[in-house]
Amino acid sequence: MGLITEKTGLPRIQPVKFILNWGRRYSLWVMNFGLACCAIEFIAASTAKNDFIRLGVIPTAHGPRQADLLVVAGTLTDKMAPALKRVYEQMPEPKYVISFGSCSNCGGPYWDSYSVTKGVDQIVPIDVYVPGCPPRPEALLHGIIELQRKIKDEDIQEKFGAVTQPAVS
Amino acid sequence: MPSPSRLSPDQVASRLRARFGDDVSEVTEQHGHAVATVARERYHDVCRFVRDEPEFACDYADFTTGVDLGDDGGFEVLTHVFSTSHHHNVRVKVVVPHDDAVLPTVSDLWPTCDWHERETAEMFGIRFEGHPMPVKLLLSEPFEGHPLRKDFSLMTREAKPWPGAVEGEEDEEE
Repeated sequence: MGLITEKTGLPRIQPVKFILNWGRRYSLWVMNFGLACCAIEFIAASTAKNDFIRLGVIPTAHGPRQADLLVVAGTLTDKMAPALKRVYEQMPEPKYVISFGSCSNCGGPYWDSYSVTKGVDQIVPIDVYVPGCPPRPEALLHGIIELQRKIKDEDIQEKFGAVTQPAVS
Repeated sequence: MPSPSRLSPDQVASRLRARFGDDVSEVTEQHGHAVATVARERYHDVCRFVRDEPEFACDYADFTTGVDLGDDGGFEVLTHVFSTSHHHNVRVKVVVPHDDAVLPTVSDLWPTCDWHERETAEMFGIRFEGHPMPVKLLLSEPFEGHPLRKDFSLMTREAKPWPGAVEGEEDEEE
């Protein structure tokens, strides 16, 4: 541990934090919560031309229980909101959510609708908002890079220190 | 199957008038479709007639929907049916008042109308008597109000008025 600190010339980097966050941010199993046209842009971002796999985002997790990253892409209605909450709660920590597109950010063109949830952040905490209607796949790539920057700077103690050990019987 | 013999809107009008008389108040043509406005009491009878009469044979229900005509205009309820053998379209139209929005169900004639009537019921607050499952279709269960009514107020619009052009004001801007 001391070796890394000395040889990298970055004495302020905590090596465990660096290694762990480096591993976590380039291995994001993603779950596409596709609700509308934004889901198509998400799929475009996952295929050959834009290819977010090169950023370490792996499509797609077999289910919410295997996912690290949830991308809410599309129009969330009040009737669908409990399902999103349930999917989010099934994901294991540490977990991240990207809100993709105007509808999930704030309601978008449905800002005055009677049935649309105005902002997914009312239901689940959001890490990165990607604006656009729908956003281009490049916008999602940028959002992913921003999320990875956020993960890189996360404090291990803060993130995992509060995890309570199971009681030994 | 009988050979296709398409009824023109005029032929639909004369046949409905011959059978129901003044209970069919108006038959118009829209896009080649016959639109028959009928009395509320005869709505179910007319629907049964256009389904069972061999000349009509309207065996396919396209949709049932409603229109709010605004202040004291009541609701229009439309059932659009089509004949797969004769290839003609008939719309049966009923006007019901706002304070007594009740109609008999036609889901016993065309099962398609089951869901369409549930949607019309939740959107406009129209009750379909005899419906086998009179619960909400699309809206969440705790939702209050009937959103496609003209007097339904959107909470967001209360806080922030519509920023674009309002209906009827477009001409003044030109």
